[in-house]
Amino acid sequence: MEGVLFPRGVPEGREGLEKYRSRGGYDALSKVLATSAEDVIKQISDAGLRGRGGAGFPTGRKWALTRETPEQPHYLVMNGGEDEPGSKKDRVLMENLPHLVIEGVIISAYAIGAAKAYLYINAHYEAATKSITDALAEAKDAGYWGENGSEFSLDIEIVPAPHNYVAGEDTAVIEVIEGKKAWPRQKPPFPVTVGLFGKPTSVNNVETLANVAPILLHGVDWYRKFGTADSPGTMIFALDDDVNRPGVYELPFGTPLRYLIEECGGGLKNGKKIKAIMSAAPSCAFLPPEKIDTPLDHYSMRDAGSALGCGVVRIVSEGTCIVEEVLRIAEFFAAESCGQCPACRMETSTLSMMMKKVQQGQGGQPILEQFGKILAFNKGKGFCSLIVMPGPPIESAITLFPGDFEAHLATGKCPAN
Amino acid sequence: MKRMCLVCQNIDCKSRGSEQLMGELEKRIAAKGIDDVEVKPYMCFGACQEGPNIVLYPEKSWYAKVNVDDLDDITDHLAGGPHVQRLDTIDSSLKELIYQLLDTGVF
Repeated sequence: MEGVLFPRGVPEGREGLEKYRSRGGYDALSKVLATSAEDVIKQISDAGLRGRGGAGFPTGRKWALTRETPEQPHYLVMNGGEDEPGSKKDRVLMENLPHLVIEGVIISAYAIGAAKAYLYINAHYEAATKSITDALAEAKDAGYWGENGSEFSLDIEIVPAPHNYVAGEDTAVIEVIEGKKAWPRQKPPFPVTVGLFGKPTSVNNVETLANVAPILLHGVDWYRKFGTADSPGTMIFALDDDVNRPGVYELPFGTPLRYLIEECGGGLKNGKKIKAIMSAAPSCAFLPPEKIDTPLDHYSMRDAGSALGCGVVRIVSEGTCIVEEVLRIAEFFAAESCGQCPACRMETSTLSMMMKKVQQGQGGQPILEQFGKILAFNKGKGFCSLIVMPGPPIESAITLFPGDFEAHLATGKCPAN
Repeated sequence: MKRMCLVCQNIDCKSRGSEQLMGELEKRIAAKGIDDVEVKPYMCFGACQEGPNIVLYPEKSWYAKVNVDDLDDITDHLAGGPHVQRLDTIDSSLKELIYQLLDTGVF
């Protein structure tokens, strides 16, 4: 299927400079340099590009806010931390389409008025780091960036990202680049006004930046042919080993979830049936199987009671116990809470401890009523969104699958075993 | 089941000396010959601004802003003495939330 990022399907190997150029690579950059930064931002806004890191913030708006902040200098940060469990889209883009990513970085820097860009890349991603490093050298030799490259001066530097989950949060990214611990900052101020080294900074996800060159090369109307009027474009979704064909798939927004699972993923392994779906694992609500025709876009997923996040779709098959699933999720967030905000430590560790009690058959029905109370008590606290993440999976699991909880509480044993 | 003296060990309470309080409490309880009380760390009671926090369970007495000088009174309470009213400053709705949690066995 034709796509914005993968026009000929998911690329098998690494695309070098010549191959990228042969399909119009860096032509968007040439076009951009002949126009104003404001016009570039307008085109990205008109295209309706939204961040692909999970929050879905309008990219054009983020760029405009950064550009318009008078404080100098401005910085661009590419966020390739990608520590969400199961996510691999940014790795695939950096490994296989490094020039697509780098062209997006250069154009974005031009748009926001930055002379320095930091590429924050998951330190586990050795192949991706090498691919980007090599591509940066090729692009610099070709004169696409550098002190005397293009028509504006740009320096690009790679920064290895630590492996913890919260290190992908945009202000934690900034802290790491500044040489500090990966601890999120309190917002506001937002990075667009007070970011890296206290200066205006646009932090953009790898996939977001990869969309930039195709939009500017082919135009807004072309881009808007993908997806829906409310959610134009495509998004890369990741399927894990629970399906017959795990991998990444680029699909237009609005594609039914069923298409991703059945047509792309080939359905569940061993012909198993679906018990529940997480469309933004691990921080979204579980969806029951009857929601399988929900369109894959932010609005439809929200209306269905879940979220789209960064496109990691996890399917729970029949015969799997939801208590065990949600215990793993609660323990994940307790372990990944950075420990900076007392409320987050209190909430995540308490929820995880409570779920362990449930799994072991302790606490009886009253313990189930406590989950909502602990979540409500901590609502609105904490610097980053990690504190709200355990809520949707835990509360939806209790509502949708009361039988699994009853079985654990009554016997202390898992109904699946 | 032994009675419990739960001492918060989250960041705020710790920064105000709750680790030392735990050690000191254990010594004073032992010195008084109280053998049915266990001093245990607890992750957090959610009253960070009021720390260090200590909760006696199942008595359900919550003592806030505890310092070393308060420990003899708390130890006396554990030995059957009076409730330490001056340290009982926590809002009743938060107490209710935490006591319900403790009642379900989460400690």
